Amino acid sequence: MALCARWILGVTAVLLAWASANAVRAEESGMLELAVKATFLYKFQPFVIWPASAFPAPAAPFVLCVVGKHPFGLLLDKVVEGARAGDRAVTIRRLATVSPDDHCQILYVGTDDPVVAKQLEAPVNGAPVLTVTDEIKEQTAKGIINFVIADNRVRFEIDNAAAMSRGLVISSKLLSLAVSEAAGP
Amino acid sequence: MTKAALLRYIGRSNLWKATPIIALSIAAVLLAAGIAIALMAARSYESQKSREVGVQAEILSSTVSAALTFGDQKAAQEYVGALAANPEILSAAIYDSAGAQFATYSRSPDFQPPTRMPPRGTVAENNRLSVVTPVMQERSRIGAVFLQVVTEPEQRRLARAGIIALLITMVAIVVGVLGIAHSTLTRANAELEQKSLALAEANRSLMKQIDEREKAEAALRQAQKMEAIGQLTGGVAHDFNNLLQIILASVGTLRRRALRWNLSPDVTADFNALVDGAVEGANRAAALTRQLLAFARRQPLEPTKIDVNRLVAGMSELLRRTLGEAVAVETVLAGGLWSIFADANQLESALINLAVNARDAMPGGGELTIETANAYLDEAYVRSLPDVPAGQFVLIAVTDTGSGMTEAVLASAFEPFFTTKDIGHGTGLGLSQVYGFVKQSGGHIKIYSELGAGTTVKLYLPRLISPDVKEDGDPIDLPPPQALRSELILVVEDEEAVRSFTVEMLRELGYAILEAADGHAALRLIDSNPAIQLLFTDVGLPGGVNGRQLADEALIRRPELKVLFTSGYTRNAIVHGGRLDAGVALISKPFTYAALAEKIRQVLNAS
Repeated sequence: MALCARWILGVTAVLLAWASANAVRAEESGMLELAVKATFLYKFQPFVIWPASAFPAPAAPFVLCVVGKHPFGLLLDKVVEGARAGDRAVTIRRLATVSPDDHCQILYVGTDDPVVAKQLEAPVNGAPVLTVTDEIKEQTAKGIINFVIADNRVRFEIDNAAAMSRGLVISSKLLSLAVSEAAGP
Repeated sequence: MTKAALLRYIGRSNLWKATPIIALSIAAVLLAAGIAIALMAARSYESQKSREVGVQAEILSSTVSAALTFGDQKAAQEYVGALAANPEILSAAIYDSAGAQFATYSRSPDFQPPTRMPPRGTVAENNRLSVVTPVMQERSRIGAVFLQVVTEPEQRRLARAGIIALLITMVAIVVGVLGIAHSTLTRANAELEQKSLALAEANRSLMKQIDEREKAEAALRQAQKMEAIGQLTGGVAHDFNNLLQIILASVGTLRRRALRWNLSPDVTADFNALVDGAVEGANRAAALTRQLLAFARRQPLEPTKIDVNRLVAGMSELLRRTLGEAVAVETVLAGGLWSIFADANQLESALINLAVNARDAMPGGGELTIETANAYLDEAYVRSLPDVPAGQFVLIAVTDTGSGMTEAVLASAFEPFFTTKDIGHGTGLGLSQVYGFVKQSGGHIKIYSELGAGTTVKLYLPRLISPDVKEDGDPIDLPPPQALRSELILVVEDEEAVRSFTVEMLRELGYAILEAADGHAALRLIDSNPAIQLLFTDVGLPGGVNGRQLADEALIRRPELKVLFTSGYTRNAIVHGGRLDAGVALISKPFTYAALAEKIRQVLNAS
């Protein structure tokens, strides 16, 4: 198990390094960009603290949900395979629509349409879920974290006010990496 | 404890000697402790620094974990760039999980972080401290942080070196001061010891001087006492001599006149017995006064060259008779004995006096030894003797095996009339005569006595150096020589009784006489009577011209004039140092008819 985790981490690191070194090619290659995003999705987890109410049970797994389009395919499964979030196992759920009963901790909203994004996210609005949107330009439709491409690299914006309103605490380390912190409503 | 003793004690104590070693040891220990403390401070500073850098690296590593996680090189560079605020940090680097540089910082081009991730841990070298801390994310290592700092700022290093240098300087000063103080004290100690030794030496010499002075003072007192007694004795004896002269002369004249009186044989025998008694008594009195004068050193001496061995040998029969059969007489005579220049009669008297004393000290019999030897009295020996010169002497030692003397007796032995003998058995003048004779002869006398063992009396008489003095011939008894051609004699005597008896005696001998009572009268007579052949004068004359001056004056006018002096004693004019002037004739009072006849003839016959 531990060996497996290490292997995955190794792959991730290689990918990351590769991704950093070849940012230009990353843009050319949608696959690479997706891989970076998939890795980032999983990696947000250590920098965020969820309230206890976010989990249905103390031993419940950490759930990473993908709603809307599923751009990652098996990449995401490979990233999280055997990985753990603290003491919890990590599972991936691909959903057509999300509901609070899904007990997602991270929700990837798979669309670049602000209206669709709002709709997809609406069921868990206000719930302790870290919503991640992908290159949404409309301010009001952005999730707590919104992937952007800056300097030909995958970066992200963070709306800390939104996170706080949902009972989430985002580490300042992560905040410091954000391209710009979205102002709260 | 005296100061000197205290100093000696300090000087001897081991503590004193060990002080510099103890002080040096303490200084060395202090120096070592100081350096150790400084090194420990440095070490503790280093470890503190290392902890500090470790914490800094931890902070950096946790800060950059997100940047590493999300590959945000720019953010990472910002983090490490912020380290420029800390001047101690020389360089820093962040490595990714593959070990490649992710972000770097260096204060100057001289301090470049390693291009590949170094092994985890802390390395201190060249005053630089390098720390490598892993960057952990969810228990997995996602990279590493490298930090290199100056371990110790130059100022601090200089300060520490300065403190150690100060410490060494202080220790050196302490050691130097101690060394100087110790050597000064040691020197002072030695000086004090030397001074105390010198003081002790000075004290010893002072004590010796005091001792010598006391001895000299005692000798001087004794000499002064003897001198005073001598003056007294001499004065009395002189007057007494004149009186005896009158008695003897009167009795002699009486005897001669009686022959002409044609007394009956009975009366003649009776008369002669009475006259003999008077003469004997007067002679004994004269002998006493002679001894008194001898002690007073005012006895006119007639010194001649004497062979002491011959004199002693010649006396042995006399001594044997004097001492009796109970006393054995032994003489030990040294060969090659020097001659002396002294009055032979006085020397004989001295030896007889000593022999008599020895006999009296040995009532049960015993042994008397007379030894002669050449002797030398050196400067050291004569230093405490007021009137004895150093030089060559002939020693005559008279030793008995008698009862000896106590110290008290010894101290007074030479005083006239001091005697330990029963009343009537001794005059107390025997040793006084010996003493006076020896002293007058320029000699030295010393008595060694031990109670119950015996006594030795040592006479030191000066050696005769000039040999041009005739040896005494053997005296021959002859009838008193008479005047040959009624020679004219001028008798000068202030005391009328003495003068008249002298004149009487000389007339009886057939001489023609002129008489005078003082020098001036005598000179007038000499001028008016060229026939005067002999001037017979007393030494002591009144009227400003004494016998010697008279004779000198007379000899200027009449160089061929013969001179005979007479005196109870000879004080200044005739006797120089106790001896007759060469060529000067003297007959001492009291003199007998025969002695006068002999002396007058001797002087007149001399060419």
